Amino acid sequence: MGLPNASGDLSTEVEVDAFRRLFPLRFFEKHLLESIRPDARPLGRARDTTIALGAVASANGSALAKIGSTTMLAAIKMEVMTPSMETPDEGCIAIDFHMPPICSPIVRPGRPAEAAPVVAKQLSDTILSSGMINLKELSLVSGKAAWMAYLDIYCLDADGALFDAALLAAVAAFSHLEIPVVSLNDDGKIVLSEGQGLSDREPVNKEKRKVNLGSIPFSLTCILHKNHILADPTSEEESIMETFVTVVLDSSSQLVSLYKPGGPVLAYTSAIQDCIALTRQRVKELRKILEEAISGMEVD
Amino acid sequence: MSKTEYVSPEGLRLDGRRPMEMRQLRAEIGTVSRANGSAVFEMGNTKVIAAVYGPREVQNRSQLINDHALVRCEYSMANFSTGDRMRKPKGDRRSTEISLVIRQTMEACILTHLMPRSQIDIFVQVLQADGGTRSACINAATLALADAGIPMRDIVTSCSAGYLNSTPLLDLNYIEDSAGGPDVTVGILPKLDKVTLLQMDAKLPVDIFENVMGLAIEGCKAIANYIREVLLENTKQLEYRRGL
Repeated sequence: MGLPNASGDLSTEVEVDAFRRLFPLRFFEKHLLESIRPDARPLGRARDTTIALGAVASANGSALAKIGSTTMLAAIKMEVMTPSMETPDEGCIAIDFHMPPICSPIVRPGRPAEAAPVVAKQLSDTILSSGMINLKELSLVSGKAAWMAYLDIYCLDADGALFDAALLAAVAAFSHLEIPVVSLNDDGKIVLSEGQGLSDREPVNKEKRKVNLGSIPFSLTCILHKNHILADPTSEEESIMETFVTVVLDSSSQLVSLYKPGGPVLAYTSAIQDCIALTRQRVKELRKILEEAISGMEVD
Repeated sequence: MSKTEYVSPEGLRLDGRRPMEMRQLRAEIGTVSRANGSAVFEMGNTKVIAAVYGPREVQNRSQLINDHALVRCEYSMANFSTGDRMRKPKGDRRSTEISLVIRQTMEACILTHLMPRSQIDIFVQVLQADGGTRSACINAATLALADAGIPMRDIVTSCSAGYLNSTPLLDLNYIEDSAGGPDVTVGILPKLDKVTLLQMDAKLPVDIFENVMGLAIEGCKAIANYIREVLLENTKQLEYRRGL
């Protein structure tokens, strides 16, 4: 919601707000004719994005990502588990996406939001299939012990483009992740090492290390309306114009995922190509922002 | 089994505080843009986010009350908020109990008769838990209600105190809380000087209890001063933005 206009006539202000509530589609179309959106963005531009790493001190890796007002907090906790029989030297990643009632007026307590399991599944599929994390890196003792990484993403403010923000937070949390040092105790169980030199047990991994990330996926959601393409919608835009396309590209501009779940607008392939082009630009921006955040952390 | 010293002979606690010293407070208003009112409240390492939606239309018609507003509250902890990852962050008994406590505490101070047939939702999410989550939630809820402009009798502030190694301690953190000593949580309306919430567990002689409760009330008043400062600063910012 914008800040009140200090010098505006109160009666025109009320009329504009009422018009926005009563005829939302016409309100937006008046803006689209001028190739602009109500928050003064051009059609192809995404909102201001920020990433803060290490937001949760007690987690092994965490990040807070904000796209405009949409805020996502991602945290990774590592636990040791026995790997399955079919993949004895691979770890496991469990991804969970929560939309607590604080994030949006339409989420009711006791009933999970409609969008939450959809975004959770999309995230899970994208991260696991993108090859960002090599599961073999999460193995400790082949066949006996491996890491289980629990990635929990909480939406703290839902203002559109939930999948984009969640993916960004997840990727940032993985780039901040440090695998803790563990050692094998006498019972053959893995225990967390308190520090160096305190025990004479042989540490299984020598030091806290970062996970090697392969190609990192970045995404952009676009809304299709008549013949306009709007990048990075807010929740108001999403609720009015329901056709959206999510494109996920990795850092080498290869297509990781494409998602268009129906919607009233049927898209020509040219529209999809345009979405992919917009995403390519966005990937460059996001890479820069992520690299700045990581190098900012390393200075400490 | 050696007895852990929670208060060293020099009078310092495990985290270096004095017995009557509170943890560092930090509050921020208006963090959730979609909510009518919201706030983040930190007491040391405990970090809580509260969002208020309301007054709005009652979602469940059967619960509609004709002469005053319906207040609902939900408390939930993030999976990563405690040391070990929690399996069931809400719906378990502790969360339900704390939801009830926060609801009844806030209901006492909201002027519900001014908003009949409507609903006020208070949602509290714990992002980091290090003892005193109940108090942090109540303080965050007060700020969020003030941000939402909901009429209240007075702000509600809450603080906890305990008694370990024969010393009353203010604002326990998680280690001190799980030491097994008594834990007194007090919620007051500072201007009216009335107690709205009082919870205690473990055994304590009555005279020592009065000391500990007095200490907790002092803590509440200190938090109230801080909250008033934060609200005043926020109002100045709003005035400034309006160009007044």
